[in-house]
Amino acid sequence: MQDTFDPKPRKFIVWLFVVSSTIMFGGFTSYYLVFAASKGKGHGLVLPDAFIYSSLVIVASSITLVLASRALKKLNFSLQRNMLWITVILAVAFGVMQFNAWGSMVRTGATLVGNNAAISFIYVVSGMHLLHIIAGVGLIISALAGSYKSLPVAKVQYRMEIASIFWHFIDILWIYLYVFLLLNR
Amino acid sequence: MSTIALHDEHNHDHADHGHHKETLISKYIFSMDHKMIAKQFLITGIIMAVIAMGLSILFRIQLAWPDQNFPFLETFLGKWAEGGRIKPDFYLALVTIHGTIMVFFVLTAGLSGTFSNLLIPLQVGARDMASPFLNMLSYWFFFMACVIMMSSFFIQTGPASGGWTVYPPLSVVAKAMPGSGLGMTLWLISMVLFVASSLMGGINYVSTILNMRTKGMDLWKMPLTIWAFFLTAILGILSFPVLVAGVVLMVFDRSFGTSFYLSDIVMGTDILPNEGGSPILWQHLFWFLGHPEVYIVIMPALGISSEVISVNARKPIFGYHAMVYSLIGITVLSFIVWGHHMFVTGMNPLLGGVFMITTLIIAVPSAVKTFNYLATLWRGNIRFTPAMLFAIGLVSFFISGGLTGIFLGNASLDINLHDTYFVVAHFHLVMGSAAIFGMLAGVYHWFPRMFGRMMNAKLGYLHFWLTFIAAYLVFFPLHFLGLDGVPRRYYAFTEFEFMKKWLTVNVFVTWAAIMAALAQVAFLFNFFYSIFKGKVAPQNPWESNTLEWTAPVEHLHGNWPGEIPTVYRWPYDYSKPGHDADFIPQTVPFSQTMSSNLPHDFEGNEEAEKIQQEWELANPVTENKG
Repeated sequence: MQDTFDPKPRKFIVWLFVVSSTIMFGGFTSYYLVFAASKGKGHGLVLPDAFIYSSLVIVASSITLVLASRALKKLNFSLQRNMLWITVILAVAFGVMQFNAWGSMVRTGATLVGNNAAISFIYVVSGMHLLHIIAGVGLIISALAGSYKSLPVAKVQYRMEIASIFWHFIDILWIYLYVFLLLNR
Repeated sequence: MSTIALHDEHNHDHADHGHHKETLISKYIFSMDHKMIAKQFLITGIIMAVIAMGLSILFRIQLAWPDQNFPFLETFLGKWAEGGRIKPDFYLALVTIHGTIMVFFVLTAGLSGTFSNLLIPLQVGARDMASPFLNMLSYWFFFMACVIMMSSFFIQTGPASGGWTVYPPLSVVAKAMPGSGLGMTLWLISMVLFVASSLMGGINYVSTILNMRTKGMDLWKMPLTIWAFFLTAILGILSFPVLVAGVVLMVFDRSFGTSFYLSDIVMGTDILPNEGGSPILWQHLFWFLGHPEVYIVIMPALGISSEVISVNARKPIFGYHAMVYSLIGITVLSFIVWGHHMFVTGMNPLLGGVFMITTLIIAVPSAVKTFNYLATLWRGNIRFTPAMLFAIGLVSFFISGGLTGIFLGNASLDINLHDTYFVVAHFHLVMGSAAIFGMLAGVYHWFPRMFGRMMNAKLGYLHFWLTFIAAYLVFFPLHFLGLDGVPRRYYAFTEFEFMKKWLTVNVFVTWAAIMAALAQVAFLFNFFYSIFKGKVAPQNPWESNTLEWTAPVEHLHGNWPGEIPTVYRWPYDYSKPGHDADFIPQTVPFSQTMSSNLPHDFEGNEEAEKIQQEWELANPVTENKG
């Protein structure tokens, strides 16, 4: 570690962002709960299978990210980069599957614009989550860039840690949203 | 933090920090220095405040003289005041934008943005914020939000006009009225930028306070300003995201045709296709932010006045711990009271009762703070500086406005008072005037710290007395309109028989408002003149204990040349018995103040207590310490 580089306050910033993002999705899901309770019904859909696959993919991406972090701890930069690349690919695959899921929902007639706000809600939360995925990919790419540019190890580790905190958060967030939608039909 | 730049050539020997060239742009525009960002927030906030005040004078003219023509209005406003009379649509836009600017742009960004940025690093002893870059971004997002909000005055259909709470359906159905169109879209864009700005700011403040305090500065040695900014930032982090959630759903309703907030709407002969949504859900999401928001507005002002009152009463703040716990109490309670804005939405009476109880409980920490202010003033050696007057003014408004909160928090009374001028009077005193006074107290008190010069005290007194009297003359009569059932946001009192008798009162209120507006000229002149021509400020003009007055007057990036000072004591050692001066800065160790140390100063450190006892035996008291 260098003397002048203190990552702690900035990592804390990422944690605080995680908190505020959690609150935002808390706001969304409480809208849904109140809406469903007052109407006596939820979205009433069988969620598309693509959501199951995307859930598996995003869990896998978290695992590859953990492997990348471990590789970095052992200073195995090439393994770290490979694992990060796999994570990026899985993230892209996740995005494609979300679009697939929306496509199959549209085909069954459950469209974004309609008279059941609970169905529109599925599009909105999964879309807002996808925006987080895009931001997360940005952070992973910055970790990758740091690794390629051979920055001081402390900085590479700092970028890696930031990407990890955020990525695991949006992984858990998606699982929460999926289970929430499953349980509140 | 990899580099800390200095623009001061005298500090070459400065320990571990490199130089990088400062250009005009990096110093004044895209500055990452918290002191410069604070000034940017302050000056933008002042400009927005002047604009919002101007808007209020416009609608006050309409309320006082609904039947008269003012040709100059047409000159300024064109077709929005055809024939010199403000149109109803534009009247609604005026009250909406006045509220939005005052609540968000002046009293959230202008207040927290200025003083959190200025004081957090300086008072906790840090070189800058946790992330100076995010801090800069925070200002520029705020600036863009201001520009976009103001740009809605330059479009054909005019600004948003559904009230600052933008309740659907007026805010969602674009054809509902002129202001529901492009103006509302601009309002939403501006608000998204604003929320992003205040989140970036708030996250930075919390991280800085928790991670970057100097040696010795434990949480219980922080000035109350820092406690207030800290809890305010936490409130923002926990409540603004909920507004984002609500706004996202609203954008979908407006732009894509979903039905989150809409159902069964008929416009003229058209039946809108939307079904199943509920506008009440927006109110829940909005007020879950909206109520904490009013504490985001008032808590920094309370923190500032705690500091200013203690310094200028030359007494320790009364009940420091109680002050902190009451701030924490307000923070926690503010999240479980939002329903009191919605008593008349058909809420279950039992739920209304719950919200009523939580609301009334807020009176407890608020009263604790009020009594502590009064107890601090009690028998103080008071210095009536302009800042002190404004801080005392805050206490006055907080009491007189807070009392009516107890009326409004009552679910059964609220059925009568809801949406009347009683509400307008209440919040303009307790959060409007009180928070503005806190902000002005802060400006007068820390002006020397910001600009290295003093503001003129005589103009300050003139400003205070005119504003203080005018604010009461404006808002006090409005209570009686409210009790009589006069609704807020009505365009003209001439259309309703029972409201006609209040016309003369409206004329009086408008004259008082004009007086208040003119009084601000004294402030604006004083402020801008003193930046350039004010008396040069001494190092510690108010003889204050806190850390910011130990930093050199000339600004340098990184705040202190060399080591950041260490803190040994709490910030409120004023008039401590046994000490020769009436203040002991936080940087003075107890070993230099043996004659005034008290047993509890050592926090159970037995060795220090022993040394003190030995010293006291060797130096018996010969004179009365008083």
